[in-house]
Amino acid sequence: MEGRLIEAARGRVVAALAARFRDLDLAEEAFAEAAASAVEAWRRDFPDDPPAWLWRTACRKALDAVRRANTRKNAVHDAPPPEPTPEDAMIAADQPIPDERLRLIFVCCHPALDPAARIALTLKIVLGLSTDRLARAFLVAEPAMLQRITRAKQKIAVAGVPFEIPGPAAWPERLDAVLSTLEVAYAQAYEDAALTTETAAAFAPEVLRLSGLLADLLPGEPEVLALAALIRFAEARRPARLDDTGAMVPLSLQEPHLWRGDRIAEGAQLLDRAADLARPGPRQILAAIHGAHLSRQETGVTPWGDIARLYDALVMQRPGPVSEVNRAVAYAEAYDPDTGLRAFNAIPPQPTWLPWQAARAWLLDQTGQRAAAASAYDAALALGPPPAERLYLDRQRRRLG
Amino acid sequence: MQYMILIYEPESAFEGEVGERRLTDVVAKHMALAGELTAAGIQKNGAGLQPVHTATTVVTDASGAQTLHDGPFAETHEQLGGYYLIEVADLDAALAIAKRVPVAPGGKVEVRPLIVY
Repeated sequence: MEGRLIEAARGRVVAALAARFRDLDLAEEAFAEAAASAVEAWRRDFPDDPPAWLWRTACRKALDAVRRANTRKNAVHDAPPPEPTPEDAMIAADQPIPDERLRLIFVCCHPALDPAARIALTLKIVLGLSTDRLARAFLVAEPAMLQRITRAKQKIAVAGVPFEIPGPAAWPERLDAVLSTLEVAYAQAYEDAALTTETAAAFAPEVLRLSGLLADLLPGEPEVLALAALIRFAEARRPARLDDTGAMVPLSLQEPHLWRGDRIAEGAQLLDRAADLARPGPRQILAAIHGAHLSRQETGVTPWGDIARLYDALVMQRPGPVSEVNRAVAYAEAYDPDTGLRAFNAIPPQPTWLPWQAARAWLLDQTGQRAAAASAYDAALALGPPPAERLYLDRQRRRLG
Repeated sequence: MQYMILIYEPESAFEGEVGERRLTDVVAKHMALAGELTAAGIQKNGAGLQPVHTATTVVTDASGAQTLHDGPFAETHEQLGGYYLIEVADLDAALAIAKRVPVAPGGKVEVRPLIVY
């Protein structure tokens, strides 16, 4: 029970410590020391408010560490014990733990940091995931993950990344860095989760949690709410994404009764709140596309016309091959396969990119070009898709003979 | 905090008739920015550098022996062409200034914190 209480308090306490001392390492170390002493101290005298106890104790540990470091730096020997500072007084006065998690998310997702390090650092500092767990989630060796995190922390400290909520001028760029960090991380977790390893699957719920936390902290930002909605919609489909043989099931062929109604409801509620704020953005469109697919659970049909129009809007806001390939597929469903293939052929070829090859194979198949479709499936399979997708593509290929 | 803003540009961007006009334009913008930053107490120092064909590099080998080379330390597409030394609160403030530094097309601006001794 102590362990769970400590873990539950970690994110908030570490964030508050980091914000006060402007030092991520110090915050983590002080929290670890406080947690270690909690086990013994709580056995003797269980506190009324365990998180507050951890916060006060960790603050004292951090202050001690700062003083020790200053003493070493100033090389004052036999110095008298320091006088209590206003900070000591503040800690003693039972101040509530300030919620600094948003500030820390902005620090950890700063656009000046290596994109690959941002999400790992955020999950570590804000949610308290261990380096070992992060290494497994991101499919890298633990020393490599440790180095990634250490470098990012050093850059934050040495380059002067501010520990402030960004001001209005920097807000759009900084918020976008936070959102794209989560978005990229979730896309990775989404792929890995269904299609490769079990360890990686455990990582998607953490990004879901983080997106929910961000939506709680920034309820007035429609793109934040939309991202949280999007992740919930995608997670709702998880139970339907593989068939009994372990092969991927494309969204339009999934069994709607397997989709999680609770996640769909949460996502829909978040997306409604985003829409009420009346500031459209690409993540709202994406979430609406996911939501439209999920409406099949209620209506029994996929509203392909709506989805194609939503993709038109998405391509305007977020041009690029990802949006355009998906739009071509939606066109084939909403209008006819030839329209889809024409839209696809207008996209610059990306032969080494699996979604491009897979979409091309499917479109050629739909338009009755069996031989061309077969060789496109071969090209897709040659790119080394993850196991579930390989099974699906292989089945499609063999059907064509 | 103090930051060095290092400006890297392809020198070829300032060659020829188009390059000459571009140079005049970029220098005027540098003057305006430097004037503003100095007046605000932000800029501590700064300069443009002569082209890399004027550079001389002192190379010290593992034994400590030194030789001179004509040219910059590394032959790259973009060359270090100038710098600003500024003092601001944090990286965001430094980056905001770095984004205002005028550069030729293809130019890159690097922001490095200074070591404080």
